[in-house]
Amino acid sequence: MWRPPRPCPAPRLSPPLRGPRAVASGGGARTSGRSDGLPGRAAGREGLSRQPQPCRRPLCYEQSERRLHKSLQMKMEEMSLSGLDNSKLEAIAQEIYADLVEDSCLGFCFEVHRAVKCGYFFLDDTDPDSMKDFEIVDQPGLDIFGQVFNQWKSKECVCPNCSRSIAASRFAPHLEKCLGMGRNSSRIANRRIANSNNMNKSESDQEDNDDINDNDWSYGSEKKAKKRKSDKNPNSPRRSKSLKHKNGELSNSDPFKYSNSAGISYESLGPEELRSLLTTQCGVISEHTKKMCTRSLRCPQHTDEQRRTVRIYFLGPSAVLPEVESSLDNDSFDMADSQALLSRLQWDGSSDLSPSDSGSSKTSDTQGWGLGSSSSESRKAKKKKPHLGLAGAASGLGASKKKRPKPPAPPTPSIYDDIN
Amino acid sequence: MISIHKMNKDAQMRAAINQKLIETGERERLKELLRAKLIECGWKDQLKAHCKEVIKEKGLEHVTVDDLVAEITPKGRALVPDSVKKELLQRIRTFLAQHASL
Repeated sequence: MWRPPRPCPAPRLSPPLRGPRAVASGGGARTSGRSDGLPGRAAGREGLSRQPQPCRRPLCYEQSERRLHKSLQMKMEEMSLSGLDNSKLEAIAQEIYADLVEDSCLGFCFEVHRAVKCGYFFLDDTDPDSMKDFEIVDQPGLDIFGQVFNQWKSKECVCPNCSRSIAASRFAPHLEKCLGMGRNSSRIANRRIANSNNMNKSESDQEDNDDINDNDWSYGSEKKAKKRKSDKNPNSPRRSKSLKHKNGELSNSDPFKYSNSAGISYESLGPEELRSLLTTQCGVISEHTKKMCTRSLRCPQHTDEQRRTVRIYFLGPSAVLPEVESSLDNDSFDMADSQALLSRLQWDGSSDLSPSDSGSSKTSDTQGWGLGSSSSESRKAKKKKPHLGLAGAASGLGASKKKRPKPPAPPTPSIYDDIN
Repeated sequence: MISIHKMNKDAQMRAAINQKLIETGERERLKELLRAKLIECGWKDQLKAHCKEVIKEKGLEHVTVDDLVAEITPKGRALVPDSVKKELLQRIRTFLAQHASL
């Protein structure tokens, strides 16, 4: 039967011997010290574990002594490292204590040294007068330093650059523009340069405008919000399309009344501006918004007839549509448009022409390529379609083409006429 | 020969005890206890006053850590009140008694 742990026996004057052979006698000794009068049980228990039951009570002197002696004996038998007597233990305890105190002192020294070097060591020695200066303020309307809330907002600062007095809350944006260092400043500056260029050269012919506009496209237009794919190859044939569109956007932005609906109110434009505008953009006035269309000269929303009407309206009956020269490009030319236009032409939409309708743009492109010398189209001929080797016919046609009025694909039928 | 052997064992013993102290976290606890007690009993303020004198003497700019340590540590050790010392020693002994036989 399992017995609960017994209370420790009364302390003895001499500790019992504990060796391998003393275990049994230890058990026996224990038995003899018992007072519950059950020798049989004790004897039976000798067969169980030799060590005392694990006791949860703090070690009493008896047991600690017993253990110390046990360890001593074991040390003599060179079995364990824990051989100690009390004096040794005490010495070690003193050592540990000394270590701890030294640690504390050192820590304190470090703190003091840091305070001295950082300058706050003598802080609590301030005289009471200076202390009064820095007392916490607790009045309504003031912060704890005594400053008025929002005081800085109404203050004015003097800009070091332009020496104007600016409101404090507007100072940072002003300085950004003033010094030309913000994100938007360069954009605005470039736009202004581009527009001043445009204005200066609005009288020159298409070619010069295109030159400038070419430069502007690569430099200024990139900064526009409506950014097309800017990784275009500068030499790609498609550049003129977006080029024209960008030009439209670009020249419309500042000097003209630029509205969000991507149209221009023509009342605000002067004659020079009108002319430059009409040479680069569609310009057809929309019925409901009364604004000029800012898309390219070949914008599919409006017909050439409309464009011609607009130009005649603004510039007089002798107005020449700039599309005459740009007709060679035909980049944005729909097939449907080409069909419609062809139907307007004096030429017969003969059967041998119809398969070449798609080729019409090709050939006109070819002409552009072939002509080379004549106009800017040579630069702008960018369609990648294979061109027919009709240079000879092209040159002849080029001359005739110039005299002809508007029609967009005049050379096409004439090529075939000549061949025929 | 037995004494030398004993000495080595002593050193080993000490090392083992120190290791036990650290491993069980008892050392940190003792340290914290000591600090708290020292602040409570005013040891820190006394020592700080002493520090101020030393620093004023040496000059604020020229104080070094070594100076401070040399001046302050002995005084600090001496200023620890007995009650604190006794309590700490008691705790250490308890710890040793629990763990020394292992």
